[in-house]
Amino acid sequence: MKGDKLLHPSRRSFIKKAAAACSGLFLPGVANALSKGETLRLGYLPITDATPLLVAHGLGYFSEEGIHVEKPVMVRSWKILTESFLAGKFNMTHMLFPIPVWMRFKQNNPVKVLAWDHTNGSAITVKQDSGIYNFKDLGGKQIAVPSWYSMHNLILQLGIRSQGLKPVIKPQSAKIPKDEVNLFILSPPDMPTALLGNKIDGYIVADPFNALAQVKFNARIMRFSGDIWKNHPCCVIVAHENFINKNNVLIQKAINAVVRAQDWCNNNPRETAHLLSRDGEGYLPFPKTVLSKVFEYPDYDELIHPEWNVARIGFSPFPFPSATRFIIEQMKHTRVEGDASFLKGLHTENAADQLVDDSFVSKALDSMGGLNQFCNCDYKKPYTREEVVEIN
Amino acid sequence: MKSINRFIYRDPKQVGLNAVFGKHDYGWKFELIGLLLFTILWIAASIMFFSRPQFAQFKGFLPGPTFEALLGSIQESRFWISVFASLRRILIGIFLAAVMGVPIGILVGFYPKFRSLSYSPIQFVRMISPLSWMPIALLLFASFESAVYFLIVMATICPIILNTTIGVLNINPQWIKMALNQGANNFQLIRTIIIPASLPYMLTSLRLALGVAWIVLVPAEFLGVSSGLGYLINDARDTMEYDKLMAMIIAIGFLGFTLDRIIQKLQTAFSWSWNE
Repeated sequence: MKGDKLLHPSRRSFIKKAAAACSGLFLPGVANALSKGETLRLGYLPITDATPLLVAHGLGYFSEEGIHVEKPVMVRSWKILTESFLAGKFNMTHMLFPIPVWMRFKQNNPVKVLAWDHTNGSAITVKQDSGIYNFKDLGGKQIAVPSWYSMHNLILQLGIRSQGLKPVIKPQSAKIPKDEVNLFILSPPDMPTALLGNKIDGYIVADPFNALAQVKFNARIMRFSGDIWKNHPCCVIVAHENFINKNNVLIQKAINAVVRAQDWCNNNPRETAHLLSRDGEGYLPFPKTVLSKVFEYPDYDELIHPEWNVARIGFSPFPFPSATRFIIEQMKHTRVEGDASFLKGLHTENAADQLVDDSFVSKALDSMGGLNQFCNCDYKKPYTREEVVEIN
Repeated sequence: MKSINRFIYRDPKQVGLNAVFGKHDYGWKFELIGLLLFTILWIAASIMFFSRPQFAQFKGFLPGPTFEALLGSIQESRFWISVFASLRRILIGIFLAAVMGVPIGILVGFYPKFRSLSYSPIQFVRMISPLSWMPIALLLFASFESAVYFLIVMATICPIILNTTIGVLNINPQWIKMALNQGANNFQLIRTIIIPASLPYMLTSLRLALGVAWIVLVPAEFLGVSSGLGYLINDARDTMEYDKLMAMIIAIGFLGFTLDRIIQKLQTAFSWSWNE
């Protein structure tokens, strides 16, 4: 009899559990609608671009702001990240700046850029003995980019064109004349391997895949992206417009937490590397040795503009409109595969205004005493800046 | 009656799959020799390619570092959590596919009309890489976990349907004629002859499904899950740690082999319904 008593509750709880497990299988909308008070669901890729979101979670800043937050979910490609975001799996995530431009104006999906996620943080990596030192050396070479709608593609082509070279998209077997540079897509984890196996002559991608190649096989950084365009934005924080309108308070608190995290990262680069690495909280699969390189200041001789004093990866939240306009303008000149005609009719200033909502980040900055601690900028007019692009 | 006559298959002794998964068994000695030959091939090939100085980074593919990494992995809880997570995904995925696929396969085999009707859809779906369903999986399912199940189901359901159908088509026509003579109706026919007689084929279909499921698991674990052998392979690729990658490959091979062996044993146990 005793056995019976013991058995029943466990059987019941098993049935309950099974029912709960099954109900989760279908119909995402129902489950979400039932839960009161939205939860912040963050998605990220295993790259240092995700740093502010992960640090804000790791240090408990989101919880301190009093919002429900799930552990950020890692996916492995930009495609899966954008698809999951559009399917409502994530309601806030980081994205390369051109992706929300493409989403909003090509796919007519009303996403908003809420803040910059980080600045710089990418590089063109070549083999140590490759003899590629400048953009003009790229003539006749094969260079991999992570996505057509990426800052990497944009900055790379900016550099290529400035040297009178022509970016082209050809099959890899095609003969590339000396005045052309062939571009193609490769997923970031494959880039170091492809470079090592001589399948490509170089690649431009977010860290830590540059640092990884440096640590693993002594690859050379041809140019840091921040050394081309001073403190350029790279990833931005995006959310869906409907979600923002319905959850104003949540978004404000989330952005507060992200801005605080960015400030912390700027002041504690070493601790940041440790926290993210698998030796710390394990948000990223990389060991601390690789990540430390990303958060270190570059060597003097790796830089063309040491006087710019830019970090390898920097954190500055305010989305300067000048940069947004520059990016949209540049996207019009950037070669991509597929139909990019939506860019032609795009009015740059209107588009920039529609895309970016800086109200949340401005409020967050006000409560922290303004933008000054993130500058690098003109203290008298901190909310405007001039874009500095210099290519050699 | 007409439908039954058409359903009777001309040559019950189909080769094809039987040739691959036949009953002939030369015992564990041959299997061991096969494994040894395969290992020697791996050692030879990896030494030939990856011990060159320019491939120093790929040393992980060599057997030494691989087994070292495997030894390290099996002492970590992360590895066992991943083994469990992957096994669960595979088994639940195949179970769901079998629950849907086996009845469909029986119907397709039994009713010629249904067979003609379903021919083009099945052939159509069968050719699509399950991974192209990824965006649909993400849209349709609430959790990443269920999206992974969906991908495994999409990958395995077609081999299960087709094999079950072949099993039904291959039943000895004498048995069916006998049952019909004794006045069996369709339901009785399916219950007492079709299902028991095609059981070995169903089990074969599960063995095929097992292989396909492991194939899609690695890319399916690109989705937002936080454990799994595919997940660990992706981690190893991200960090260029090829010894760990090879260790996971060995682990998957071992698990796959074991699961296949279990189904094989079941198959032998049920071979009483074979054409004798």
